[in-house]
Amino acid sequence: MVDLGGLFAYEFFQRAFLAGVCSALLCSVLGVFIVLKRASLIGEGIAHLAFGGIAIGLVLAVYPLYTALILALIGTLIISMLSRSRIVYSETAIGLMFSAGLAIGAVLATMGGGFSVDLYSYLFGSILTVSSQDLVIIIALTAVALVFVSIFYKELVLMTFDERSARLSGVPVVVFEIAFNVLVAFAVVVSIKIVGALLVSALLIIPAASAMQFSRSFKGTTLSAIIVGLCTVMVGMLLSFYYDLATGGAIVIVGLVVFALCVGVRKLFKLGKKQMAPDTICAHGMQEVRFEEPSKEKGA
Amino acid sequence: MIESIVEVKDVTVRINNLTVLDKVSVEVQPGDVLGIVGPNGGGKTTFLNAVLGNVPLESGEIKLFGTNLKRFKDFHLIGYVAQNAIQFDPIFPATVREIVSLGCINRARLGRPMNRSQRSEVEKAIDLVGLRNVADRKISDLSGGQKQRIFIAKALVRKPKLLIMDEATAGLDACMQDHFHNLLRYLRTEQGITVMTVSHDLSGVICQANKLAVVNRQLHYVPITPGFDPSQMLRDAYGEHFTFIFHHDHGSCAAPAPINLDADDGGR
Repeated sequence: MVDLGGLFAYEFFQRAFLAGVCSALLCSVLGVFIVLKRASLIGEGIAHLAFGGIAIGLVLAVYPLYTALILALIGTLIISMLSRSRIVYSETAIGLMFSAGLAIGAVLATMGGGFSVDLYSYLFGSILTVSSQDLVIIIALTAVALVFVSIFYKELVLMTFDERSARLSGVPVVVFEIAFNVLVAFAVVVSIKIVGALLVSALLIIPAASAMQFSRSFKGTTLSAIIVGLCTVMVGMLLSFYYDLATGGAIVIVGLVVFALCVGVRKLFKLGKKQMAPDTICAHGMQEVRFEEPSKEKGA
Repeated sequence: MIESIVEVKDVTVRINNLTVLDKVSVEVQPGDVLGIVGPNGGGKTTFLNAVLGNVPLESGEIKLFGTNLKRFKDFHLIGYVAQNAIQFDPIFPATVREIVSLGCINRARLGRPMNRSQRSEVEKAIDLVGLRNVADRKISDLSGGQKQRIFIAKALVRKPKLLIMDEATAGLDACMQDHFHNLLRYLRTEQGITVMTVSHDLSGVICQANKLAVVNRQLHYVPITPGFDPSQMLRDAYGEHFTFIFHHDHGSCAAPAPINLDADDGGR
């Protein structure tokens, strides 16, 4: 039997737990927008830049989350600038930043020599390494990002659904897009200690993709993604602790199992629905309109 | 006092070295319903996009509400239903009410939660387009015609002064087209909304509009008066022969009678 009470007696686990909650909350909320904008790669690109930033911090003996944040923000602005000015497609811009971050990290890792163990924990995450200083940064960035999203939730939904309509409604779409990418950079920095740079994009994608299997509203999808994200991170962290696994890997494997379950349940539900008579509604006046077959929908 | 809601002067639009609109001019006054017709590829959608500032102008000038388009910021005064509005991401998780609510967003209220009056406008718009009984359904579960009505409601919810619609009746059945035309009349006569509507439904447009624009690279527009016969204009644009048969016993097309929406049972 797992002794959760005993586990929370450890200070390192208390810090890891709080960092995990922040990471799950922020990644799940932003992930819904990222997945629906079909911009899943942005998390990957920024995470690899953050990895390069961490390597710079370790070489220069500067607090690595600061350098990670700075490089991630610079990369975010470059991605926005390159894609907005149509110099290259946005996925090409992300690919360029992705490579740049990884290249910086690889070169500095060979130069630095002595910090390979530290670097490994930043690549794959570790519940043992969240310090009090990390926690302050993590909580602050999460709070700023969640306040922004809660204030501009409607505008972000409209931009995700139809950018042209958002522009016509007076939403400054370029400013919002840059601001959103900055929030993604925050989410990467918040999550890098727990999940690791190589796996952080999974935490941005999996909760949203799972929630989309069974939610019909945007609000419902966001709430479901938060629940899936929190459960995934908590279970993954417990498995990591009890079986001495890389925390990021354990979290992502749990997330993938949850996603597979969500897809399976949805398929079963659709199968059951097909055996029932097609739904009908009275759409207007006396005319009865038959719903389109749900088979037209694609899976996420 | 603004004399023209939309003023287009000698506008030329070139896309990929091809002249799509050639020195077109048109003026839309408050309360007008401008019907825009023309053959496929004639530049109807490009014309609307030019008015909305979505395509660069080669030459000419566009004014919206008396302000040059380059300086115009009050896009919240414009409701827009796009041609391919219903071709949204089929797995996008949102209900009808959520999408209609997005129409409330405007520059002056960015970041502010919806107030009671806006919530009430959302419900009114849902009722107006007859989607009350599917308001909490996922948008991708609806038929093409129902999806189109979501976007009409979304455009109406902000109480626009100018409503621009690009083939808004495409995908609507005969009953809903009738409901749509009643709605158009109501908006024009009761709420004074100016309308620009592109359509392939020639008879529908001619019966609802008070001005007709025929677009085929160039634009010709005329007021629709009783006894107006558009056959020659349409023949010039389409290169086909048109004969219009008017049913005078049903009253004048150019001056439609106001409708009583309370008597319309559209979905309630």
